[in-house]
Amino acid sequence: MHEWALADAVVEATSSALAGKDPACLRGVTVQIGELQAIDREIFSFALETILAEKPYSPNLFHLETERASFLCSSCGKEWGLDDSPGLGASEKEAIHFLPEAAHAFMRCPSCASPDYRVQKGRGVKISGIELADRGGCT
Amino acid sequence: MSDPRPAVVGKRLAEVGRIVAFCSAKGGVGKTLCTVLSALQLARAGARVGLLDLDTQGASAHVFLGVTPRLPDEEKGILPLAVTEGLTLMGVAPFTGERGLALRGPDVSDAILELLAVTQWGKADFLLVDMPPGIGEEILDLSRLIPRLQALVVSTPSAVSVTVVERLLSVLREIRMTVPGVIANMVDGDAGPVRSLADRHGVPFVGEIPRDRAIERGVGSLEALRSSRAAAAARDALAALGWMPGAGGRAAGGRL
Repeated sequence: MHEWALADAVVEATSSALAGKDPACLRGVTVQIGELQAIDREIFSFALETILAEKPYSPNLFHLETERASFLCSSCGKEWGLDDSPGLGASEKEAIHFLPEAAHAFMRCPSCASPDYRVQKGRGVKISGIELADRGGCT
Repeated sequence: MSDPRPAVVGKRLAEVGRIVAFCSAKGGVGKTLCTVLSALQLARAGARVGLLDLDTQGASAHVFLGVTPRLPDEEKGILPLAVTEGLTLMGVAPFTGERGLALRGPDVSDAILELLAVTQWGKADFLLVDMPPGIGEEILDLSRLIPRLQALVVSTPSAVSVTVVERLLSVLREIRMTVPGVIANMVDGDAGPVRSLADRHGVPFVGEIPRDRAIERGVGSLEALRSSRAAAAARDALAALGWMPGAGGRAAGGRL
């Protein structure tokens, strides 16, 4: 369960953001799951629930969204998505799952074959928003 | 948009004692060899040692250690690869093998942060970090993410190396990093220039590792590396630093 470590990071970051505040201030956390890392949402959700069992936040407050991956070639300017990057084997996908930067060892620009490209969106796990109650002591 | 990973770096390293980056601004001075020999000597003396190879573009610690890259096992994160009794290894090689990894600066930072956030080192007396040459993302990111990081500086006696490493020592002072010592590597005569470098910066000179041509034949063989003259010199340097475990065990890697 590699997902556990990332779910743990989301919970710890949320706890840090709420440090010194009433836990009831938390209204919601939006977590973006980058397509490139291919996190298993079911495992991630299970890990979140397990970790949150010892925290004062309900798992129902954590909303997962998938962010599509997008790449930009620094050599020719081509933009593309993961669907346009064929040929990745199972072990290569697993390597990218553990370390998304490993993509630079296995994927190339589909237009000019350059290894010099940027992952514009959809790399890994991010928190896109933490919503707090609109009352004194929360914001 | 915020990145949750920095929030768990301290937690992942909570059971790790001393964390030391083997640094040099100059390439080719033998940072990896110094890191590997130090890790082997500490482990042989009974310490639990993790080795983190952060040279994303020139990862080679696994080559010295004869470790064939393979994807890591998972346990609430990823587990470093077992090398030998008391020594584990993590870096980019388990994921990329011997393929070239062309990364720009922000990607290097992301890779470092990911490895720190998801690797479960468990209980360890030391985490030794093999750094790439330079004064870039790696040392700046590590110093921010791991405030208790120390930098052991490596230089050869060559005027070129000493000149470049002098700049690194100045930057390390500016970012307030603890430098427990400077070590001379590939010494084939007089280590005086490295000793003088340490003196100029008020940092202990902790030892010299001879140029040992047997090392090349020892690549990939733990026994050959351990029995080399260079390994004996590395052990002396670790003893000078006070890091070698004594009869009482593992206090040498204890938290500062």
